[in-house]
Amino acid sequence: MAEQKIATSKVAGTWAWFFQRVSAVLLVVLLGLHIYVDHFVDMGKPLDVAGIHTRVKQLLFVVIDYSLLGMVLFHGLNGTRTVMFDFDMFIKRKKLVDVGLWVLGIAMMIWGIIVLFPFING
Amino acid sequence: MMKIGSFKWLFGRNSEFWPTNMKTGMWAWVGHRLTGLLLVVYVFLHLSFLSQASLSHKSFDELMETMHQPLFILMDFLLVCAVIYHAMNGARVVLFDMGIGIRRQKLVFWVMMGIAAAIVLAAFFVLFNEGLLKGEWF
Repeated sequence: MAEQKIATSKVAGTWAWFFQRVSAVLLVVLLGLHIYVDHFVDMGKPLDVAGIHTRVKQLLFVVIDYSLLGMVLFHGLNGTRTVMFDFDMFIKRKKLVDVGLWVLGIAMMIWGIIVLFPFING
Repeated sequence: MMKIGSFKWLFGRNSEFWPTNMKTGMWAWVGHRLTGLLLVVYVFLHLSFLSQASLSHKSFDELMETMHQPLFILMDFLLVCAVIYHAMNGARVVLFDMGIGIRRQKLVFWVMMGIAAAIVLAAFFVLFNEGLLKGEWF
């Protein structure tokens, strides 16, 4: 059997590669739902606060939105990390970059969670 | 100090990234990284616009009115192109990781781009239906 080469980078690591694939598949599903529900199921044109409120007052859509944000942040920041390390950028500060990206990601997650509150409250 | 010469691996005529040195798979890879970085920037913009506008309902509704102008619809369309390219090429990468289609990698690329083109075309009609095709912008 021919040796199989997966598109993982030695510097970025196998777990980074694995979760990048998992989040990619979830993103296709979640982003598809996000675009379908926001722009095809008619809730006022253009979108307004009242229309979004009718959606996000249901727990399911809050869960979908927050999962989407989490997956986007992980996939985007992990992708940025892979690109940087592949081009030998900050390779000597790998730990610092990892901590920095996690802090940035968690901060943006909290920010995104708070941003939705006015729409949930209506 | 960084010397210009140290970027020869990236920009030089003998670099693997020099356009005439790149083959299909390399173009696909470069495109994947560029659209990926672009989409990260978009997520920051998306969050920052939403959070500024969610301070008051009026400002949010005004922002949505602004976003219905032709220029922003055009930018939405470019965003769709980037997302669909990234997703379809990403599907190709996942297939290869599972050991599917590696020997037919060029064919797989063009099949994926065919699907991407069909989705982008559909998005074109959805996005530009009222403004361009029904003439609301004129």
